[in-house]
Amino acid sequence: MSAREYLGEFEHMVLLAVLRLGDQAYGVTVRREIEARTRREVSIGAIYATLDRLEAKTLVQSRVGDPTPERGGRSKRFFRVTAPGVSAVKHTHRALRSLTEGLALLGVSS
Amino acid sequence: MTQQPSPARPPRLAAWLVDLFASREQAESILGDLSEEFSDLASRSGIANARRWYRLQSAKTIAHLAGAAFHATPPSLAVALFLGFLLSWFSGALPAQLIIALLRTQRPYSSRHYEAYVWLLAYGIPIVSITQSLLIGCVVALLARGREMVAAIALSLLRAAPLAWLLFIFFGRTPLARPVIPFLGPFLFSRALDLIGIVVGGVIVRKARSASASRLAAV
Repeated sequence: MSAREYLGEFEHMVLLAVLRLGDQAYGVTVRREIEARTRREVSIGAIYATLDRLEAKTLVQSRVGDPTPERGGRSKRFFRVTAPGVSAVKHTHRALRSLTEGLALLGVSS
Repeated sequence: MTQQPSPARPPRLAAWLVDLFASREQAESILGDLSEEFSDLASRSGIANARRWYRLQSAKTIAHLAGAAFHATPPSLAVALFLGFLLSWFSGALPAQLIIALLRTQRPYSSRHYEAYVWLLAYGIPIVSITQSLLIGCVVALLARGREMVAAIALSLLRAAPLAWLLFIFFGRTPLARPVIPFLGPFLFSRALDLIGIVVGGVIVRKARSASASRLAAV
């Protein structure tokens, strides 16, 4: 795997959030999941810019759902992680684990 | 009979701006997500809070969309900016030349004719200049398909940069600049109108494309 295929920090977070949400992953839920779990404030624009980039890299796929009234008659765009996306998450995790191995971070050594 | 309260609506201007910067597919999902969160927030913490949140989210979203367009740097955006800059640079003197050529063909024979002559002399160049900027904005937006607004605003900033630099040099180093100050206001105003003209050109093309795509989708 080339260095280019490793995920950036936010790409990594977004992919993990999409994986966690399963078939309910769309802009609003992904944003809330990241905010709830990382306590990091994220904008819808940041989520979509990242998801579009991940889709261009074929790490996620999207499909358009049905329009709903609370969304002003607009449809949701659901995302799911593809096999290369899962593989990219694994590669990145492996690399991070390898880098943190033996390091005592905040009193925790992995 | 009780009157049903009308549902809270998100700020129109903010939604309109997001729609300008997003592609058609993005606009549908992003505006839908913003509306959904707006409705939720309005019912939990009031419309004023929800509106404030919507405006802030829209501004952040536009910044991200514009940043992503630049980050991706598609060749069409670079080509559009380059051609737009060349076009605006080499056609800079065209409005003045056009109006002077037109005035040379006319002679103020009567007082009414004279008034029209003076009006053309005073306002002709700025009007042609703004129209020219509008057309340049349209050309750039047409070339930068899907990134019309980013291209138009970037060209506008590119054109503003040398002007700002010249002004800085002029006023920073030349003590003789003082007599020119009274003429600076109208000059800067006309330049600002030119820059706005480019952006408006981008808006026109973006909206026309969006409307045409909606028509096609409806068929």
